[in-house]
Amino acid sequence: MSRKTERLVNLTIALLATKRYITKSEIFRTVDGYEGSDESKERMFERDKDDLRNLGIDIEVGTFDPLFEDESGYRIKPENYQFQLGEVNAQEIALLSMAAQAWRGATLGASALSALNKLHAIGIESDTEILPDLAPSIVSEDKNLPIAIAAITSRTAISFQYLNEDLLAENRVLEPYAVVARYGHWYLVGNDLDRKSQRNFRLDRISGEAKLQGRAGGYEIPKELDIDTVFGVEKSAETASLLLRDGRALNLRTRCNPDTNAQQIDGWQAVKIAFKDRERFIEEILWYGSDVIIIEPSSLRSQIIDLLTKGVSQYG
Amino acid sequence: MARAQATPVERAARLLDLVPFISTHQGISVKDLAREFELTENELLTDLNTLWMCGLPGYTPLELIDLEFESGYVSIRNAEILQRVRLLTKQELVIILLGLDILKESFDKPRPDLNNSVDSLVAKIKAIVGNIAMAAPIVDSSQRAIIAQAIQSRRDLEISYHSTIKDAVTERRITPIDISVDLGFEVLNAYCHSACAFRTFRLDNMKSVELSELTSATPVETRQDGFEWQLRITERLRTSLERFRQTPNVREGAKEISVSVNSFSQDWLLRSAMSTLGSVEVLGPPQARSSLAKACESTLELYK
Repeated sequence: MSRKTERLVNLTIALLATKRYITKSEIFRTVDGYEGSDESKERMFERDKDDLRNLGIDIEVGTFDPLFEDESGYRIKPENYQFQLGEVNAQEIALLSMAAQAWRGATLGASALSALNKLHAIGIESDTEILPDLAPSIVSEDKNLPIAIAAITSRTAISFQYLNEDLLAENRVLEPYAVVARYGHWYLVGNDLDRKSQRNFRLDRISGEAKLQGRAGGYEIPKELDIDTVFGVEKSAETASLLLRDGRALNLRTRCNPDTNAQQIDGWQAVKIAFKDRERFIEEILWYGSDVIIIEPSSLRSQIIDLLTKGVSQYG
Repeated sequence: MARAQATPVERAARLLDLVPFISTHQGISVKDLAREFELTENELLTDLNTLWMCGLPGYTPLELIDLEFESGYVSIRNAEILQRVRLLTKQELVIILLGLDILKESFDKPRPDLNNSVDSLVAKIKAIVGNIAMAAPIVDSSQRAIIAQAIQSRRDLEISYHSTIKDAVTERRITPIDISVDLGFEVLNAYCHSACAFRTFRLDNMKSVELSELTSATPVETRQDGFEWQLRITERLRTSLERFRQTPNVREGAKEISVSVNSFSQDWLLRSAMSTLGSVEVLGPPQARSSLAKACESTLELYK
């Protein structure tokens, strides 16, 4: 049985119960578990404070007697300790529980469990009528997702090795702002300290484990951070004119506009599509083989022709 | 239970959470309490024993937390100080936030009232943690309910499915087996009666899902004849590997990579090889190379 566990609970009780700040010497005298030399008690207390802070328990430091300014006191304000979402009804409990439940079995399962324990401790029966037959689940085995979330919530920079296009591990240092799940992948958004600009990183391309670096609270997350625009298509730099064979290239059809100026050709539709990343767009076009023809821009058209010519000579 | 031993700090957190839980569930059985906290009964009893030694300074019986749990049922008294439910940590708030995002569109019937509740909870949480996490739901989850019903009642499904490999929407009858995740996408594992083989269907590519009147015995898994192609990747190493569903690893100084890739679908291999024409050469089998030659020729023909 761990003395440390007991001491942390006793410290929490003592600091929660007090209406005034209590001093370190009072704590050492009265709270069970502080033993040894003054120095080791000090060390114990400093570590305990950090541990409680990591549990979300904020210890307030203040002076309790203006005449003895150098002796500071400690306490935990009940309003900083208790459930902070205010009054919640049965329906909200059900929704919050389902949201946490979605993570069971994933890398963040432990946090999901503790969140559920707290929600259930509120003592309101959750409204089970709204439970869907098949609740959604978030499946992420990525060990860096909890690290990324911990870094963001504590505003701590992280460093990691990122697999580049040549399969080299690049060292990156990032002040992370947000995590986003899009297109079946988790992305980490943040301020790249070496490149001095905001970048997105795919979590599954991080090689090894990301490491927290520097102190917590070391930067601010921009207030105007709009995750939607980070992944928006507003940056579409170019527009292509192309022909799609009747009934084919279904995915392209979901995001194209008819090209009304183009000449009508039987069996084909003339459309316009905006794209951002030329290399990716070329790969996408080639996926459809002889069901898509690029008309413009001509530079794109000749890139496609070059690749096909290379293919013919390579495989022919 | 295969689980890492909790650290003293994690245990302390659990003890702090046990108190309010027991307070609102006085007389709960040790068994139910252990299940709620995912502990063995022995682990829980150790926790309760520790909690019993805690209390206010002075630590006389008057100040100690008073627990009764000998008879298999647990009650708590004298724990007013810890009775409040603890605040959610930021980590917990973030995962709830992400969970709410994907929950939003998963109700079986349109429920604007529930969507409003989700929105207001999201707003409450974002006011605390900021706009730092988001998950975009990609599946119209009304279909999940039908799929779940089919799996439970062992009925077949009629689906209209957009296959990106075939680049077509087709109607199929399938016998659903289970839902899993493949490279980040939710997929339904099923036996497809049109293909007469086991297939995985991405949930977000299902255009419609209907319960069929038919039932089928769960087909026996048969070994599928797959295709194996040999590749040489010379450019865009990471992206090209990902496109062929290989997990890229660090390779210092690699100029090119040779790999074998497998798939039940020759179509998929062909399309993937076409799309990576600039960075990947298919070395074999010979008939793969001749299909690619044909595909390149017929496409190039269109540009003349």
